[in-house]
Amino acid sequence: MDKETRDMLLETADRFFAERAGKEVVNGVEKGIWPKDLWKEIEEMGLPLIAVPEDKGGAGGTLADMLAVMRLAGSHAVPVPLAETALANMLIAAADGVPATGPSTLALGDVVFEGNRLSGKVDRVPFAAVADRFVTVANAAGRPMVAVVSASNASINEVPSHAGEPYGTVTFDNPPCEFAEVSPVSAERAIELAALMRAMQMAGAADKVLATAVEYCKQRVQFGRPISTFQAIQQMLAELASFVAATIACAEAAARDADEGGLADGGRFSIAAAKSQASEFAQRIAAIAHQSMGAMGFTHEHILHHYTRRLWVWRRDFGSETFWGEKIGTAVAKAGPQALWPSLTASRYAS
Amino acid sequence: MSIPKLEFPPFHLPPEAEAMRHEVRAFLKETLPKVKSEDRFASWNTFSPTFSRELGKKGWIGITWPKKYGGSEKSFLERYVVTEELLGNSAPAGAHWVADRQSGPLLLRFGNEEQRQAILPKITKGECYFSIGMSEPDSGSDLASVRTRAEPVPGGFRVNGTKVWTSGAHRNHYCIALVRTSGQHGDRHKGLSQLLVDLKTPNITIRPIINLAGRHDWNEVTFSDAFIPESCLIGNEGDGWLQVTSELAFERSGPERFMQNYYILRELVRVLGRQPAKRAAAILGRIIARLWTLRQMSVAVAGMMQGGKSPAIEASLVKDLGTIYQQDLPEIARVLAESDATTEEDMADFLDVAQYATMMAPSYTIQGGTTQVLRGIVARGLGLR
Repeated sequence: MDKETRDMLLETADRFFAERAGKEVVNGVEKGIWPKDLWKEIEEMGLPLIAVPEDKGGAGGTLADMLAVMRLAGSHAVPVPLAETALANMLIAAADGVPATGPSTLALGDVVFEGNRLSGKVDRVPFAAVADRFVTVANAAGRPMVAVVSASNASINEVPSHAGEPYGTVTFDNPPCEFAEVSPVSAERAIELAALMRAMQMAGAADKVLATAVEYCKQRVQFGRPISTFQAIQQMLAELASFVAATIACAEAAARDADEGGLADGGRFSIAAAKSQASEFAQRIAAIAHQSMGAMGFTHEHILHHYTRRLWVWRRDFGSETFWGEKIGTAVAKAGPQALWPSLTASRYAS
Repeated sequence: MSIPKLEFPPFHLPPEAEAMRHEVRAFLKETLPKVKSEDRFASWNTFSPTFSRELGKKGWIGITWPKKYGGSEKSFLERYVVTEELLGNSAPAGAHWVADRQSGPLLLRFGNEEQRQAILPKITKGECYFSIGMSEPDSGSDLASVRTRAEPVPGGFRVNGTKVWTSGAHRNHYCIALVRTSGQHGDRHKGLSQLLVDLKTPNITIRPIINLAGRHDWNEVTFSDAFIPESCLIGNEGDGWLQVTSELAFERSGPERFMQNYYILRELVRVLGRQPAKRAAAILGRIIARLWTLRQMSVAVAGMMQGGKSPAIEASLVKDLGTIYQQDLPEIARVLAESDATTEEDMADFLDVAQYATMMAPSYTIQGGTTQVLRGIVARGLGLR
């Protein structure tokens, strides 16, 4: 979609999330209350189908369009599997399928596809307990297959994430797939795309953490003046801004590279670097924000934890800094010291 | 929420800049082995007139300047590529560095025609080198407190005072000195001017200040009734502060803020060998991810500047993150090499290099504005002060 259309969509979605995915809704999900209306409205806006072609019922947006929405969703801690469903739908459409309605999630990991049936077990599947179906990319005799299994055909052990979202372990004991087609996206690539999606959500959450801390410190009065006027606080928040800036920049750069390079393998190094970087700084961001907001920010009453807890969970989702760092380090070491600088400066315009 | 939105729109250096990279790499591959430098790794601290002249012959100093002053009229983005290639290949670019990066652009912007014609072509040839004369014994971060006084006398100024941390003054040709030309010490920003000072001027004494690593980069430059001709005033009398602040904002986010000790990373990859253990690979990969991010940020800021924006906060954040990264790098590398270098010999050799880098590391977050001053600027941008 063109820039104007995207900006308009983002503006509408921003207002919508602010209004409809507020504090009570996020806290409700933690108590096990599925926000049925929120999901319905999200579907009415077409967000889960944003990167699905129009002839398959979608909005015809690109990967970059989808990722921009996910960054926004991250900045509102939208507590439903919007990101997971949007990516799952994109994968299904890329394999020439037509996505169904309802919340889906990604069960990416060690799964085997054979004779239209799926087997395997995946831990920490986001929103496992509320998704209508599980979408995965499995290797089948050397070919990647997008496979979809109805939730009623999988066994789900709910283990809520530390952010209070209904994550869980999903076991496939040879159920039939409701959809299965050869996928242009490999199993490994699906994890990359999911990592990129999380990095963008982290960028959104990080941005919100900074805004929250800055706003709080400008209003909180101690010793007769706003604490934002103390140099110690100013220095902390400036440092926080640097980590937030890095998180935004790495996610956006990887999103650009993935989008330009194509769904099948665009921006592989960039995605690994972005998820490593975003995960690495998540703790610094959370730590400084909490320190600046004192006991108030440590309460369940305040919204800060909606974002800091998600940052702590998301940095592990679809590969932590250790996982992606190892991939980068292994590749760089293999290529040798002289290849590092050329690879860091690789460009689509390189001759 | 009313805080400014931090944005780093991803930016591609344009095809002509990438074509330039190709040329620069080919040149460095041929030239670097022939250039004798004082040490292997200091890059923009390494003084090599031979190398600077070679670079000048290619037209890569003052690359953005008008042709009539010896420049190549290329874009700021092509300059960016030349800079990062020099750093990425540890080229000894120290002799012309300040002239190319700060002094030349200052003269181009504020200098008079005579000054430009006399100086700029020599800079572009790689033959004319500059020092920065801002800091004084009592003026570091608080630059407006400079005491060096240039008293108007017939035909020029009589200058008295002392500049410190004046890198390269013992071998450079000129220094641009921030001095008080009118008013009193307490007047702060008012009454300051900049002078183009020939370092061979009588009554200027240059004494070494040795840094903790035993290197002689810095000097103390003392003016004792030194006469500086009126023609050496840069711009208008009293415009010194304006000039200095625009100069300081210039390229805060350039690659020199995170590529200064790149050689450590390259050497680390070498000593870890082609198949490091998983844990070592992960640590290596994480630090590479940080460097990659910094470059994306820096290029994004360059893109915004090229597009006519002035992303001041973003640029400051790049410098903050970049200099902290440069401080972290030698320590991460040292610990990793101790546990995972492939041979004892490699490890010992690398630890020497890393040790040197550790000794240099405190300077990164001090030079050109300390981390704390920088964060004060960011805090202002965030609306906190």
